[in-house]
Amino acid sequence: RQYGGYEYSQQSGFVPPDMMQQQQPYTGQIYQPTQTYTPTSAQSFYGSNFEDEPPLLEELGINFDHIWQKTLTVLHPLKVADGSIMNETDLAGPMVFCLAFGATLLLAGKIQFGYVYGISAIGCLGMFCLLNLMSMTGVSFGCVASVLGYCLLPMILLSTFAIVFSLQGMMGIILTAGIIGWCSFSASKIFISALAMEGQQLLVAYPCALLYGVFALISVF
Amino acid sequence: QMWQVGKRQASRAFSLYANIDILRPYFDVEPVQVRARLLESMIPVKMINFPQKIAGELYGPLMLVFTLVAILLHGMKTSDTIIREGTLMGTAIGTCFGYWLGVSSFIYFLAYLCNAQITMVQMLSLLGYGLFGHCITLFVTYNIHFHSLFYVFWLGVGGLSTLRMVAVLVSRTVGHTQRLILCGTLAALHMLFLLYLHFAYHKVVEGILDTLEGPNMPPFQRVARDIPVVSNAVLNTTAKAVALTL
Repeated sequence: RQYGGYEYSQQSGFVPPDMMQQQQPYTGQIYQPTQTYTPTSAQSFYGSNFEDEPPLLEELGINFDHIWQKTLTVLHPLKVADGSIMNETDLAGPMVFCLAFGATLLLAGKIQFGYVYGISAIGCLGMFCLLNLMSMTGVSFGCVASVLGYCLLPMILLSTFAIVFSLQGMMGIILTAGIIGWCSFSASKIFISALAMEGQQLLVAYPCALLYGVFALISVF
Repeated sequence: QMWQVGKRQASRAFSLYANIDILRPYFDVEPVQVRARLLESMIPVKMINFPQKIAGELYGPLMLVFTLVAILLHGMKTSDTIIREGTLMGTAIGTCFGYWLGVSSFIYFLAYLCNAQITMVQMLSLLGYGLFGHCITLFVTYNIHFHSLFYVFWLGVGGLSTLRMVAVLVSRTVGHTQRLILCGTLAALHMLFLLYLHFAYHKVVEGILDTLEGPNMPPFQRVARDIPVVSNAVLNTTAKAVALTL
């Protein structure tokens, strides 16, 4: 059921039309149990045909269109999120965002990749436990990591701003508070649309705000 | 082979999930309820003649403990506190969670000795919501540095949340001695914790070397005003010791 980065659940109707067209040439030639979708992980049994291998990005599970869509969802906090976009767990985008965050911190003179990694790992674990306890259906750890990683994007804007201006004045405090609110609002919006938890957006947003607050603390100080 | 690794991980995750499931009913809350309970935690109840209802939920207290951790971190960062052995994050988390879990367990044990009608989850919940007062006080006084303001908040806000916890416990205990023991301990620990948090985490905990640069005090005002007194005393004794040895 799960291969690589693509986890299409059985009920999901969200199959991008362009992907469907690319599958047609492959299904006849690759030995797989009945799949309508070509697996893209490295362990699937491709024959020795070089031309029949899917392109590298597809094999790695990196779909730029999805990444871009999810990024846009994060960047427009007032846009209604589609609950099914989180069905495939995509960790490539969040990984890029974490590295970009670390890079912008580096440009400001703070070599704190370790802190970013540690805090994001512990934060994802904490949110995973909390969301599993609070929602009717459970969540997978990959989904939580993916959402939290995508919503780190506004924090990158904050740390970019911190390169040139110091964030310790009143202006910095207001900007930091705004960015934390933006990040946690988008994250909670995606979580509640993916988990169908109506009315609990504030309850989900608050722990996200605490987590992004710690990231902001690294950026500011 | 990766499939087997994945399967093993999934079963491990599943067993972890199964353990977490027992906590599930304690997290089933609405935002309105949480807000109501937060405000209620500052209002001491008047009726202590029959047992007061305590909501046994863990979401609010857990979030409050994490908020306290965040406020502590913020306070430590703004005052450039340097922790010699350990990290800032570890110290903050250890302090807050240690207080919440440790004091809850201790008071629960005392409540067991004093025959009070309270369960562990209720105690955790009560103490957790009592930290709301601490959060407010520290948030205000870490940013506005006046000792007198802190004392006003300590007595006012801290006192209110302590009174509420004490009133609830009194309503659930019979016998004057038992009430005195239980509530006295809780009140003392709660108020002293706030005092400790204010003074231990928002001043510079550095070595003696820094006090030697007396005339060149850095421009920003440090919070604990008694540090210069201490440092002057240290400076004097050091100078005397040096003079004696020469």
